[in-house]
Amino acid sequence: MDFDPHASTIESSSADGIVHEVQNLGINEESSTNITCFSDVFNDIPIHFQIICFPKQIYAWIGCQTARFGSLYAAASTRPNNIVSVTSLLGGTSDNTGSGIARRIVLKTGVPVTLACNIPKDSPMLEAHVEKKLIQKLIFLGYTKSKPQAVTS
Amino acid sequence: ILAFPFEDIGFAEIQSQFSWQESKVDIVICSYDDQFLVMATQIGTMGTIMHARKEEGMLNTPTFNVSVIFGKRDEPMLLACARQLIEHISNSGSSKPLTLSLGLKDHSMEILKGIVSAVIENRLW
Repeated sequence: MDFDPHASTIESSSADGIVHEVQNLGINEESSTNITCFSDVFNDIPIHFQIICFPKQIYAWIGCQTARFGSLYAAASTRPNNIVSVTSLLGGTSDNTGSGIARRIVLKTGVPVTLACNIPKDSPMLEAHVEKKLIQKLIFLGYTKSKPQAVTS
Repeated sequence: ILAFPFEDIGFAEIQSQFSWQESKVDIVICSYDDQFLVMATQIGTMGTIMHARKEEGMLNTPTFNVSVIFGKRDEPMLLACARQLIEHISNSGSSKPLTLSLGLKDHSMEILKGIVSAVIENRLW
């Protein structure tokens, strides 16, 4: 995937309802930290995404309507057998909205993830939409876990 | 670079970098509605994550609570760094708590002082 480290354009895209996107605020070629911000709308609710890509980790924040930080979760592959574990670091109400998202991002990308989100609880459709958008963007940014070779009979 | 990527909500972020002994430290500072997030890394990950907040007490001088929420819990210099920054935030008039992540190769006083200076120079409070 071609990636232009100097791109910092603001563009509006009609695809998938993305309203506004600012990509890669990396200041120079040597910066190994890339920031991608974009917004989306779901049922008239504005949703904001901030993804910070470190070489070996992803941090993401999902803001639903406001810029409140929300609850913070960390997820990574752990022993035994590299299963994915997730824990709440800050906030962490009993509903754990966001912990499932963090866990599934690790499953899809293979990279440890720290996720902050302020999505309201009891909104499964919103949560699913948000997760889909975030994973789409991560795949666009080049995060795909290599798939095992298909077994042929 | 200071950016306000989202219209209509109070969110801002700054990305910066400084050189330290032949390696670079990437710094990102974000301001959310109810919190500041500061990340400084040399090692490609967020490293140890700490949370620091001001506690409103009965006294005239504020007290601060600083704790590690993820990572190394036996490095007092990291907590000292968080403590310095939350005090600076408080003295600048903000009551917002701070989440600080430090992913560093060494935890010497010199590099931590360098990080505190670089963050204060690029602060969002």
